[in-house]
Amino acid sequence: MMLDDAQNRAPLVMNAGSVEFSGLKALDSVSLRLEPGEILGLIGPNGSGKTTTINAITGQVPLAGGDVRIGERVISGMSPRKIALMGVARSFQIVRLFNNMTTLENVETAALARGDSRRIAREKAQALLSEFSLEGHADDLCGTLSYGDKRRVEIARALAAEPSFLFLDEPAAGMNVAETDALLEILRALPGDRGLGLLIIDHDMSLIMRLCDRLQVISSGRTIAEGSAEDVRSNQDVIEAYLGTGADD
Amino acid sequence: MHRNILTLVILGSLIVAAALLAQFMGIRLYERIATTMFVSMILVLGLQVFMGNSGILSFAHIGFMGVGAYASAVLSIPERMKGMALPDLYPILVDVQLSPYVTILIGGLVAALVAAALSYPLMRLSDAAAVITSFALLVVLHTILTHWSAVTNGPRTLFGLPKATSLWLACGLALAALVGAMAFKESRVGRLLRASRDDEVAAAAIGVDIVKLRWLGFILAALFAGIGGALWGHFVTSFSPRAFYLKETFLILSMLVIGGANTVTGAVIGTLIVTFVYEALRSVEASINEAGIVSQQVIGLTEIVLALAMIAVLALRPGGLFPVREIGTLLTLKRKTGRKSP
Repeated sequence: MMLDDAQNRAPLVMNAGSVEFSGLKALDSVSLRLEPGEILGLIGPNGSGKTTTINAITGQVPLAGGDVRIGERVISGMSPRKIALMGVARSFQIVRLFNNMTTLENVETAALARGDSRRIAREKAQALLSEFSLEGHADDLCGTLSYGDKRRVEIARALAAEPSFLFLDEPAAGMNVAETDALLEILRALPGDRGLGLLIIDHDMSLIMRLCDRLQVISSGRTIAEGSAEDVRSNQDVIEAYLGTGADD
Repeated sequence: MHRNILTLVILGSLIVAAALLAQFMGIRLYERIATTMFVSMILVLGLQVFMGNSGILSFAHIGFMGVGAYASAVLSIPERMKGMALPDLYPILVDVQLSPYVTILIGGLVAALVAAALSYPLMRLSDAAAVITSFALLVVLHTILTHWSAVTNGPRTLFGLPKATSLWLACGLALAALVGAMAFKESRVGRLLRASRDDEVAAAAIGVDIVKLRWLGFILAALFAGIGGALWGHFVTSFSPRAFYLKETFLILSMLVIGGANTVTGAVIGTLIVTFVYEALRSVEASINEAGIVSQQVIGLTEIVLALAMIAVLALRPGGLFPVREIGTLLTLKRKTGRKSP
């Protein structure tokens, strides 16, 4: 779906966003910009604040400082539900599906939630299931799917809401190489086909490097590098954050 | 969609078959049992509407049954009876005497209105907090019914309700409740509510207004409960607030839990099974006592066996007999569907 009005072409921007958990700064003035049509990779060591960044943008955790905007519109402070209806969709690090519903129903539900008619929701869901090669599982309960399938259903469900911005938290976790490659092809086409801005967290560096237009590296709740894959790979701070400095060892 | 129709046809046939069986046995007791069972079924289906779709256990349901029963009673007891039955009734209500067939529906609407007015803030709660507050709501409703003497005659028995409930009226309303529960489950509201039942965080993240949808489900459940209560009131024609308290709550809850709260099939089958077992045990208990096999009176056999059955179901099959899928879906799926999600 191409989006054409000006608001939908506006970038999603987090300005100096901070998050605190009982006094501890999990995110310290992180700024982030996601343009429609681009793929941004958010990487960093474990516990650096990647998932917290997504949670802060989608409203699951409150910001202690800074704000999040889509264009001029401030979305930080809204409930996760309202933010979702503003066109921000996400997947979760630990898959969260509606396990007692079928695959088809899971995907359909996201379309129904944004107000699509039953017929349109059904058509959209069926199209997404074939796009993600899940047609064979349409009638299976999601609780019974394999891990890789569950991840794909979650992405399909997020897309059924026709978001302007999509946040994927480790979409390839638990997938084998073939599944990861198939996923890569699908994800690569998303921004072009749908005009959405895609942000991906993953530990699979080969996936990230092949997929992302731009990378942002965070460590201990701060941005330590931004730029192309090449820039980031050679950045001294990034190497230290991942490998530690010689002196510390 | 044809799966849902198949489910309705199967369950509807069971309901009608039970009514026909009760009628052609020609024993008044059976007709009575069947009528009461249909009242229970309306209540169980109502509880399924809220509990099955939202995943939140509600103890308040039977309180709304009481609200419906008393509302219908106040509006339908004949004028000449009211002096005795409700001596303190507000003058404005004394002259009111509507057909019980109308007041049964009004009873449902009053229960739904009360639920709408009281429950919105409660719908923000989940898990244990939601269960405890729903229990508190039951206690509050019971206390009001017991002490608002002007319209309930206090803790004393209220009598003089015109008899209106027949086997076939109860059967017809049970069928309507069946269709209503199924339609709600498959509606947009029902679907989104079930999404929030399976995962609240994910449902909010796709834009589901969980509190509002729970509230709608709760109101519809209260409508069913109010109609069920009024229907029962015009069957027994006299009752006291005690009828709408813990014993009834646990009976209705055990029917739903044993059958499977997540499915309409579970609600219907659970009601049928529990009623059958309950009545069978009662007659066994009666014959033991009559024959004097045991030196003392045997009492409480029904409650104990029912409680054990509930424990067994919860231990062996936590989702109940029909935990996820409706009977029509189970029958139409080509491959075996032994696999069930937890």
